[in-house]
Amino acid sequence: MPPPQNASVITIQPLATLSPPCSSRTWQSTPHPTLPVIATACSDRTVRVYSLTSFTLLHSITGGHKRSIRAVSWKPGVKGQSVLATGSFDASAGIWRRDERGLAEDTQRERAGDWDGDEEGEDDDYQFSCILDGHESEIKSLSWSPSGQYLATCSRDKSVWIWEELEDDNFETIAVLQEHEGDVKCVAWHPEEDLLASASYDDTVRLYKEDADDWVQVAMIDGHKKTVWWVEFEGSEMSARDFRAHREGLSEQRAHHVEQLERSGPRLATSSDDCSVRIWRRKPREGSAQTSSRLGMPNIIRSVAIDEEWFQETILPQQHERAIYSLSWSRRSGMIASAGSDGKILVYKERWKNVMPNGVKADGTVDHSDSDAMEGVENASLTEWVVVAELFSAHDVFEINHVCWAKRSDKGRRSEDEEVIVSTGDDGEVKVWVLEER
Amino acid sequence: MEPDKDNANPTILNASDLPSRRRESSVKQREDGGTGLFDHLIPHYNYLSDPFERPVSASDSDDDSVEDIDEQEIYDLISSISDPEHPLSLGSLAVVNLPDIRILPPSSPHSTISTVVVEITPTITHCSLATVIGLGVRVRLEQALPPRFRVDVRIKKGTHSTDEAVNKQLGDKERVAAALENGTLMGVLRKMLSTCE
Repeated sequence: MPPPQNASVITIQPLATLSPPCSSRTWQSTPHPTLPVIATACSDRTVRVYSLTSFTLLHSITGGHKRSIRAVSWKPGVKGQSVLATGSFDASAGIWRRDERGLAEDTQRERAGDWDGDEEGEDDDYQFSCILDGHESEIKSLSWSPSGQYLATCSRDKSVWIWEELEDDNFETIAVLQEHEGDVKCVAWHPEEDLLASASYDDTVRLYKEDADDWVQVAMIDGHKKTVWWVEFEGSEMSARDFRAHREGLSEQRAHHVEQLERSGPRLATSSDDCSVRIWRRKPREGSAQTSSRLGMPNIIRSVAIDEEWFQETILPQQHERAIYSLSWSRRSGMIASAGSDGKILVYKERWKNVMPNGVKADGTVDHSDSDAMEGVENASLTEWVVVAELFSAHDVFEINHVCWAKRSDKGRRSEDEEVIVSTGDDGEVKVWVLEER
Repeated sequence: MEPDKDNANPTILNASDLPSRRRESSVKQREDGGTGLFDHLIPHYNYLSDPFERPVSASDSDDDSVEDIDEQEIYDLISSISDPEHPLSLGSLAVVNLPDIRILPPSSPHSTISTVVVEITPTITHCSLATVIGLGVRVRLEQALPPRFRVDVRIKKGTHSTDEAVNKQLGDKERVAAALENGTLMGVLRKMLSTCE
């Protein structure tokens, strides 16, 4: 399918507001990795777990934290139970568990629309499991690694901690990373490697890897001019799903670009108080070095073996007017959604840059002349990001603290892989949005 | 004067010289306004829990129209805040000044969000309480103004030795939110704001 030439082809339509809402600020909502539920971190010291099928409240997790809950993260790859980590302004992280073995039944009843939480006993609730103490001040973000082996937390105390769960409820601190010079706002894991990224009040992003039992900084990204609020990796193998999936008739230059992107691996997106969203890309290693690190061969000289070079690939169209608190990179379509203080939700899509009118085969010469001004050998100008949807006042006049993609699970779902956008605001509301082709 | 004050001899303006329209402020106080402002440490939005109290779409309500709030009214809201170390108001100490208050209208016809920019002038260039004063101004305005206002509080350029660092802190909503959950700091703020009507 040829990419749309008209940028505004999609509208963002309201589907539901999760009910009942919180009466104070909500910070973040994270969809469960497998179930149609979403957990919301609230400033009233609770986590609310809502159904994405009925859009109603299923569970309130209370009584653990002494201050606002700022962040929530589901542990991936757990069978038979749900495990949720909570990060709070009280400087601690909590681990909560719920037995999901009666899940099939629950899901059926939810779908039938007669869910009634009151009938459930206490066993049905999320049980407090353990507390992770160590940070000196507010936890701002936390994230499980894709394998579920590690949990990363970050704080105003300028540090990033990595915890490993040795056995149930026995967490060991395996790293305390103190590279940042200011509050650490967000942590995120690479989808394929044990590579951790952190974004900070010091305007930088840092990347860390394990090197001979020690976690070390392997790259520093310096480009934003103000606080970096959010960092997130691209999904795994997205070139098979997004605009790059169609390989027929690609010019040699474009085919080379796709190949280079695949060698770089998933890219990194960041959003900042400087009102920009930026995409960063790893410089592929030359031949054998890349292979040996992939195979996990021991590397003797650390600086050569493990340091990475990340460069700015592009800045997304700048249509936010205030701090961008959050972005989300769709694992299904490759589109990016962003939101922040100006109350807007923007959706961006990447496409081949067509210098010639649609239908004319853009050959190498056209693209090349256009890219002369670009620095470096990486030809970033072969593609461009366009805003495909823009929604003002998504939470009335309130700020939006978080935005994410989630699998659509309600009755109105139009396809197996349809997605919704979920936004979380200062008004205490969590809203679900669908994209409609215009 | 106590010796430990940062500025033991501040310049004090006469109350009759302060800018005023010589009338009562027409900014409506919310139910959580005044001295009971910080009964709950977590900022919350009372009016939202009652949708009938202030309909979102009502354009005829007093505090909903853009024209209703001007710089003088912003000044009235914050000039009565007490200085944390002197028994004087920020207005009489010329920490807040009418010409340093700006209201920026919505930048797009699709938006209803206005921005209030307040530049404060610390009494001396190294005043360690500049952050607390700035926080007091931000909290006062966020509590008193309708939520369609974004509040940007800054240190006036060149009046403070670490103004960039202070501005960055005051502009960080997460830090401000966390500060409001800090009991000690809230005690100071509560005292500063207790002189606001």
